[in-house]
Amino acid sequence: MPAKGMLLSSSPHSFTQISTPRMMLSVIIALIPASVYGVYLYGFQALALILVTVLSAVASEYLFRKLIKAKTTIGDFSAIVTGLLLALILPPKTPLWMGAMGAFFAIVVAKEFFGGLGANPFNPALTGRAFLLMSFPAAITTWTMPHGLALADATSTATPLALVRQGAALTDVAKYFGASDVGSLYRQLFMGYRSGSLGESSILLVLIGGLFLLALGVIQWIVPVSVIGSAFLFSWLLGMDPIFNILTGGVVFGAFFMATDYATRPLTPAGQAVFGIGIGLLTVIIRKFGGFPEGVTYAILIMNLATPYLNKMRVKKYGFVPPVKPAKPSKEAVK
Amino acid sequence: MTAKTFRGGAHPPEQKDRSSGLAVERLRDVKQVVIPVNQHFGAPLQPLVKVGDYVKRGQKIADADGRMTVPVHASLAGIVKKIEPRTQSNNLDGPCIIIEAKQPEPVDGVVESTDDFMPPLDPFVCSKEEALARIRAAGIVGMGGAGFPTHVKLAPSKPISYVIANGAECEPYLTIDERTMIERPEDVVEGVAITMKIVNAPEGIIAVEENKMHAIPLLEKAIASSPRTRAGMKIRVQLLKTKYPQGGEKMLITAITGKEVPSGGLPMDVGCVVQNIGTLCAMVEAFRDGKPLIERGLTITGGACTKPANVIAPIGTPVADIIAAGLTAVDDEALRRIIYGGPMMGVAVPNYAIPVQKNTSGVLFMNEEEAVHYEEETCIRCGRCMRACPIRISPALLAVSVETGDYKEAEKIGLLDCIECGSCSFVCPAHRHLVQKFRVGKQILRTIKQKEAQNAR
Repeated sequence: MPAKGMLLSSSPHSFTQISTPRMMLSVIIALIPASVYGVYLYGFQALALILVTVLSAVASEYLFRKLIKAKTTIGDFSAIVTGLLLALILPPKTPLWMGAMGAFFAIVVAKEFFGGLGANPFNPALTGRAFLLMSFPAAITTWTMPHGLALADATSTATPLALVRQGAALTDVAKYFGASDVGSLYRQLFMGYRSGSLGESSILLVLIGGLFLLALGVIQWIVPVSVIGSAFLFSWLLGMDPIFNILTGGVVFGAFFMATDYATRPLTPAGQAVFGIGIGLLTVIIRKFGGFPEGVTYAILIMNLATPYLNKMRVKKYGFVPPVKPAKPSKEAVK
Repeated sequence: MTAKTFRGGAHPPEQKDRSSGLAVERLRDVKQVVIPVNQHFGAPLQPLVKVGDYVKRGQKIADADGRMTVPVHASLAGIVKKIEPRTQSNNLDGPCIIIEAKQPEPVDGVVESTDDFMPPLDPFVCSKEEALARIRAAGIVGMGGAGFPTHVKLAPSKPISYVIANGAECEPYLTIDERTMIERPEDVVEGVAITMKIVNAPEGIIAVEENKMHAIPLLEKAIASSPRTRAGMKIRVQLLKTKYPQGGEKMLITAITGKEVPSGGLPMDVGCVVQNIGTLCAMVEAFRDGKPLIERGLTITGGACTKPANVIAPIGTPVADIIAAGLTAVDDEALRRIIYGGPMMGVAVPNYAIPVQKNTSGVLFMNEEEAVHYEEETCIRCGRCMRACPIRISPALLAVSVETGDYKEAEKIGLLDCIECGSCSFVCPAHRHLVQKFRVGKQILRTIKQKEAQNAR
């Protein structure tokens, strides 16, 4: 007979090896190419910003959970992801203390106040960015040219989208970034030789990270495809350059790393499609008619609001039988 | 042949290597059996014997009136020692009849046969009613786990197009169906033919997962040489992808026919009857030999099992006695969890004195490494459960309804459709106890509905 008491539990008795920290870790790995390239483009300050936001995010979560006497959750690595994501969507020369404050806001206000991991209604990193953008609009819209692309003055510059917003034609934007024509501007944007947020310069590297997550099954294709597809389509419908529009302003980064955030995107496939299309549409509308040149941040945050309702768009269950509606009594019968 | 499958599901580690190559061995000279009185899905039975009675092997020892009842038989000849509650394989106590083996005294130098079997019956000649009566009299239930009365399953009120032999054996570790298909392919084919005759189905399909490919040539040979197929019956093998829960009745039907069993309905609603491999062989024996269901094959394996085996044991044999007989062995020091059934849907029990029952497809002895148990963490809403759920009831959303007590919403999402396969709990990175919640939730929702129905009256 057994030497000691047996473990009794309800089935199943077999479990996957995939855990929450492991999934978060794969997101961090997926962000490494874009992060490293950001540091390569903008130097030490970019590295410092990444470290500060990550440390601030982890410390904020740790201290807040301590304060409310709850279990420490920094072991799930989600705070690292939030901190890293925040750094990658900020201007490279964001003052470090602002980065730290943004990470604190993202973790404590946007996530922990709502109950922590999985319970937050808004994407924490984007909320952090929105908070900084509203509090320090000048600093968060001060952009830097990457090393070696010193066509404009070295300290500050405009993003491609900002230039277009100021009324520049794409050929002028191309010239500004030293590209010979619009075609090579597209290539330059794709490869990542332009001004912009720390981690979303190179669409190629962002895509590599995104495809890595897709291949691992950490994220699914519906959200990124619907975001990019609808941004493309609605840009075209509104007479904007669709290729330029999806290559700039973090559409691809947002589609793969922000809109796919588990807690804040719908769970059902149909809900995800509507969510993604909504983000693409809102982004284009903000760019066309709104006050911000990029629009992705607010588009995602606004669609986050719709998530609980979009979750009602469930897949038909197996063997679904439509309920038989009781026949309405005809008017004659009522009389 | 392309492998068919269903949408969703999971890929738990198969763990079948330990026992898949081992021939089935028969346990002999059992000293004592503990036979649970109730081993079927349905109304409870009454014992027909009393303490001190001598019973023959195959003698009916418990029965009751009613359609949803299946009698139980003595699995060895001997004396009824006790009738008392004992722990059964579902980890609940229930009435059991304990029989101690005893050879009868020779009368005039002649030892009377200790077997009390029925006369053989040709299912292809007798009427459908006779055949169903024989199946019930032989005590046959679905041997895959649920223990549903086979005579009820084979009396569908709708026309049947397909009889499906469930050779998927999608539960990890278990290999008894695989071994049965390899060692007794003729009986499997014959069982399909008998079922087809009873339900008047034009086609029989033996469904096998890809990880049991080596059984297919043997089955095909048995089909080709069967007198039934020569007489014109249509039976074929269908390959299926290796995926859990491919052997679930609904998933099997959908994979093969593309149809979905309607919510709240039965396989017959889409013209199918699904039979477990062991059940088919038991049916063959019931007709050919007149032998009731008094023994079954099972796999004994696991990380703490030092001698994995596929065994045929009398119903009621305490698993400890199979170990004592040397057919299998367990490392008691390493043993951390005992499961009757498979790792996905089986029941964890406190000891291995619990007997083999009609629905015991295996016994797993798990070691420290296998016997993991996780505390629940928070849902990160990753949606893995939503994609794994084979009946698409959005476990992540359903869990919220069940936890908050919103049973109206839970019913709408499909709580009562849950087949309790456990795929959601298996894939959850936060180790949420999803299917466990649904199991409890189903009971609560059923009680609520019953009360509502009573109040309506």
